[in-house]
Amino acid sequence: MVAALPSPRPTWRGYVFAAAVVAAATLVGLAASQHASLADEAMLYSLAIVVAAHAGRGPGLLAAGLSVLAFDFVFVEPRGTLAVADTRFVFTFVVMFVVGAAIGTLTVRLKRREREAMEAQLRARTEEVRSSLLSAVSHDLRTPLAVITGMATTLRETAGDAQQEGLDTIVEEAERLSRILQNLLAATKVDGGAAPRREWVPVEELVGAALQRLDDALQGRAVRVDIADDALAHLDPVLGELLIGNLVDNAAKHTPAGTPIDVRVRREGAAAILEVADRGPGVRAGDEQRVFEKFFRSQHAARAGVGLGLAVCRGIALAHGGTIEVEARPGGGAVFRVRIPDGEPLPALDAPPALAAEAAR
Amino acid sequence: MTAGDVVLVIEDETAMRRFLAQALGSHGFKVIEAGTCAQAVALATEARPAVILLDLGLPDGDGLELLRTLREWSTTPVIVLSARDREDDKVQALDAGADDYLTKPFGVSELLARIRVALRHARAQTVTEDPVIAIGPIRIDQARHEVTVAEAPVHLTPIEFRLLAFLARHAGKVLTHRQLLHEVWGPRSTQHTQYLRVHMAALRKKLETDPARPRWLTTEPGVGYRLRDE
Repeated sequence: MVAALPSPRPTWRGYVFAAAVVAAATLVGLAASQHASLADEAMLYSLAIVVAAHAGRGPGLLAAGLSVLAFDFVFVEPRGTLAVADTRFVFTFVVMFVVGAAIGTLTVRLKRREREAMEAQLRARTEEVRSSLLSAVSHDLRTPLAVITGMATTLRETAGDAQQEGLDTIVEEAERLSRILQNLLAATKVDGGAAPRREWVPVEELVGAALQRLDDALQGRAVRVDIADDALAHLDPVLGELLIGNLVDNAAKHTPAGTPIDVRVRREGAAAILEVADRGPGVRAGDEQRVFEKFFRSQHAARAGVGLGLAVCRGIALAHGGTIEVEARPGGGAVFRVRIPDGEPLPALDAPPALAAEAAR
Repeated sequence: MTAGDVVLVIEDETAMRRFLAQALGSHGFKVIEAGTCAQAVALATEARPAVILLDLGLPDGDGLELLRTLREWSTTPVIVLSARDREDDKVQALDAGADDYLTKPFGVSELLARIRVALRHARAQTVTEDPVIAIGPIRIDQARHEVTVAEAPVHLTPIEFRLLAFLARHAGKVLTHRQLLHEVWGPRSTQHTQYLRVHMAALRKKLETDPARPRWLTTEPGVGYRLRDE
């Protein structure tokens, strides 16, 4: 049996293999020559070409050429020379070579299709296993988390002051774990290459939803929001909310309590620019790229993280064909800037006439 | 809410059922539990619950299928329990007739608030509707098409008014993009989410003190909007 998956570019082994197959066909042909006609010998070489073509197109062509030469040398009169007594055999050689080359090409194409199908199947199966594993893991982790949060809030209703603080901590930590889990799932989704579902969204709406979700984690921290001209962005609203939430959460985590966080949004050409700026210690020189790597953890985090939040932000920005960067903020602190280019031209803001007419009825 | 209201909990995880039973029991509800779809259908028929809590990830069948079956003969409010990254499931469940949802993990106060809203809406169906709805500082006169915020009149476009009135009639409840588009723009417009978003933004600007941190008109990412009423 020839290798199941021949490499697309044949190595020298392929050519040696092709020569060996033609030699073998010649030997078999010689052994059977008493009982076989010239047509049978030609068929034998066709078989050799098909087999050799499994090693690639080059070896297939070599086998076709060698077959013509061997057929002429060994079987066609005068034997033992490359001379041809009957000129009709020249035509036979040409047909043999062309048929051999065609068979070789078809075989190679068939092999390639087969390989592509197998690879696609393998990819699909990997994706399937990955997503079912993730949903199983997330379900298995979420349920205990939901029970912990639920039970702790139930106990909190009747607990005395002494226990209150402990129960608050349990609830907060369970929520944090839940955010980590969400980022873990988002990281796999974004890395898995799932296309974002882009829509035109007022960024204000995403900022509002993110700040509402982070309400407890922000612990009353001042977040100033400045959105220029009701800026719209063309992005997946669920991923967009996560992106903004992660940037704000990151700023809150790495800056002293009481320092303000600024969220600024504007449009610039055919793109939306989101900035989250803080007054913390800033990003250490040389770490400007590394902060976006998975599992990177800074030295001065007030609350330890797993190092997924910013990596997910980068994944989301890239999935939208955008960029993310961090730089020092004039006057101290860091500015994270995300650029989300429009995936389609900005539409007219008002409802089309048909919709407006219907609404006015 | 009335003491002794029956809540049917359809949830396969024992620990989760225990939490819900304890939390609701201590607030005067009578809790009955089902771990499978088959049990759930039987209990929903016999026990006539006031509210149903349904986990969408049941082992012996699709929670969504169960919801559709229930909706064939019952208008009992259904609140679905689901994970955060399952927005599509939530939207499907809401469009299939669920009244609201809770994202795991959730606390007791969230749970009780959702149940309160669901019970109130279920009971309000039998009462004649007051043309004036007041939510916080917002007052909506549906007969006169007038809206005031803290006594000050606010001018709304016809679309904005219809959006707000629909949200206010379902105050406290989440409404999906599809439900809002269907109500305000008509059945052929349920794909035009971007117009809905732009009009919601305009409405927030007119009604909220800080539109970037809305107190009343909140966004449920990937699902829809909610006009909070408490």
